[in-house]
Amino acid sequence: MLEIFQYESRNRVRGSVYLSIAMSLLAALVIWIYPSFSESFDDVDEQLLQAYPEEVIRLFDVQTMATLEGFLAFELYVFGWVILLGLYVAYLGGGVIADDVERGRMDILLSLPISRARTVAEKYASLAVPIVVVNVVTPIVVYVSAELVGEPISATDLVAVHALSIPYLFVCAGIGLVASVVVDRTGIAQRIALGITFGLFMLESLLEGTDYEAVGVISPTRYFDPNEILLESTYDLIGAAVLIGMTLVLVVASQLWFTRRDIS
Amino acid sequence: MAAIELEGLTKDYGDVLANDDVSFTVERGEIFGYLGPNGAGKTTTIRMLLGFISPTAGGGRVLGQDITDERELIEAKRRIGYLPDDPQFDESATGREILELHAAIKGDERSDELLELFDPPLDRTVREYSHGNVRKLGLVTTFMHDPELVILDEPTGGLDPLMKQRFAEFVRSERDRGLTLFFSSHILGEVRRLCDRVGIIRSGKLVTVEPIDALLDRSGKVVRVVAAEPVPSSIFERNLEGVHDLEVGGADGTVVATAEGARADGDAPGSAYREYTFTFTGTVDDLLAVLEEYELIDLTIEEAPLESVFLRFYGSEKDA
Repeated sequence: MLEIFQYESRNRVRGSVYLSIAMSLLAALVIWIYPSFSESFDDVDEQLLQAYPEEVIRLFDVQTMATLEGFLAFELYVFGWVILLGLYVAYLGGGVIADDVERGRMDILLSLPISRARTVAEKYASLAVPIVVVNVVTPIVVYVSAELVGEPISATDLVAVHALSIPYLFVCAGIGLVASVVVDRTGIAQRIALGITFGLFMLESLLEGTDYEAVGVISPTRYFDPNEILLESTYDLIGAAVLIGMTLVLVVASQLWFTRRDIS
Repeated sequence: MAAIELEGLTKDYGDVLANDDVSFTVERGEIFGYLGPNGAGKTTTIRMLLGFISPTAGGGRVLGQDITDERELIEAKRRIGYLPDDPQFDESATGREILELHAAIKGDERSDELLELFDPPLDRTVREYSHGNVRKLGLVTTFMHDPELVILDEPTGGLDPLMKQRFAEFVRSERDRGLTLFFSSHILGEVRRLCDRVGIIRSGKLVTVEPIDALLDRSGKVVRVVAAEPVPSSIFERNLEGVHDLEVGGADGTVVATAEGARADGDAPGSAYREYTFTFTGTVDDLLAVLEEYELIDLTIEEAPLESVFLRFYGSEKDA
């Protein structure tokens, strides 16, 4: 059991380290500029947020920039995690199956005595490596950087925002996985994954507060809110459970589809 | 229980009937060659056998397990080795890592011994491998778990002549140990050296299944006669049973005319030449008896190249 998971996970370690370094640099940069940013305004929210178009404020769910937490929630977590990282893991997910099918590697894999469902599950599970590594490395960098610039933030909230981002990222990866089993060409699967993930983000952000707000329930971004965690210390565990449920649905759907289709 | 039993296996893609009611049985311990030109449907059959694609009608069993039942097929796959026509491995992995993955999943009984025979550079990444090395790695992964049945799609494509030779010897010794081998090919030379029986597929339809010897017998022999003095062509045309495609040649060995051509030119039936080449399905004794009264410089009797056998099969189909 788990041979494919182990094999694929090992292959993902190097990329995950690079990813963590990149996200840590982004985090350090955001925190490093914060003091000079906040000092340049008497009242950041009054002066700056007024200047942003309403749509942008809503799109990125900007609550406040008067505290490092608020600044981080927007600059690092909504932008860096919900959007960038969400799109990146969806992109990775898009390659999970399609890449092997497209390059003809799936034949030898499927000639081994393992079920297709298990192949899908283990390959998908290997995406845990980048998702977990980036969420272990970056908060350490964030915490230390915040201490260094003299704007300490709550360690509990920090751990919570990263922990609760994990199920969100698994859903994004799951969207990629579905695209990957349905489409044979990696490039197309990845583009579909990116499009759907970004579309769901926009759907939730733009429909919020409108009559169509209810449509946003299908968007994973509804169930992970960095602002609420960092500013109010509110941890939406039900949201996390919904995200886990979505992940299971996406994985099982991918398994069923992949088990029934022809590999040609 | 046969190694492979196919019953009416059909794959209909709508616009193409890739396999049309294919039925045959491969017995345990035989080497079965699945022959046909490119695009005939050989790979389609193999992919259905391994459950990569599902038949639109019919079905079959490998090692007694239903090929349309994933769970049963997985049981069979523990005892099957498979090498596709263009094997692809994870390019970023080294050969050793690939072997370790395969060993972890299906076990490793004999990779050391196989690596002495086929020696891919294990510590290099597959990206750096030549085609031949990828194939050697593939042969190791195919046989490492000591399977009962091995399925090879166009097996010797990327191998150099020495490796082909080594592969052929290896396959025969495996057969002697009781291995069943099913392989597809469009290169007929390979078949004649390796197979016990052959199945020939054309445009998705199985044309024939027969022992390779019977196929060769039916295909006849190529006879070349060089005489000291001209020999009348009529003795081959009239006095001997089983002469086909008679050609006459000059003293330097170049063909100057076919027998029919000569006749069409108004040459008398009694025209004579010093050199003849023809396909012969009669008995060798009769041939020698006819030639007895002539002084011969050279006489060769060889098995017909399988290409011509193949042509005959496809030719007759086309005529029908």
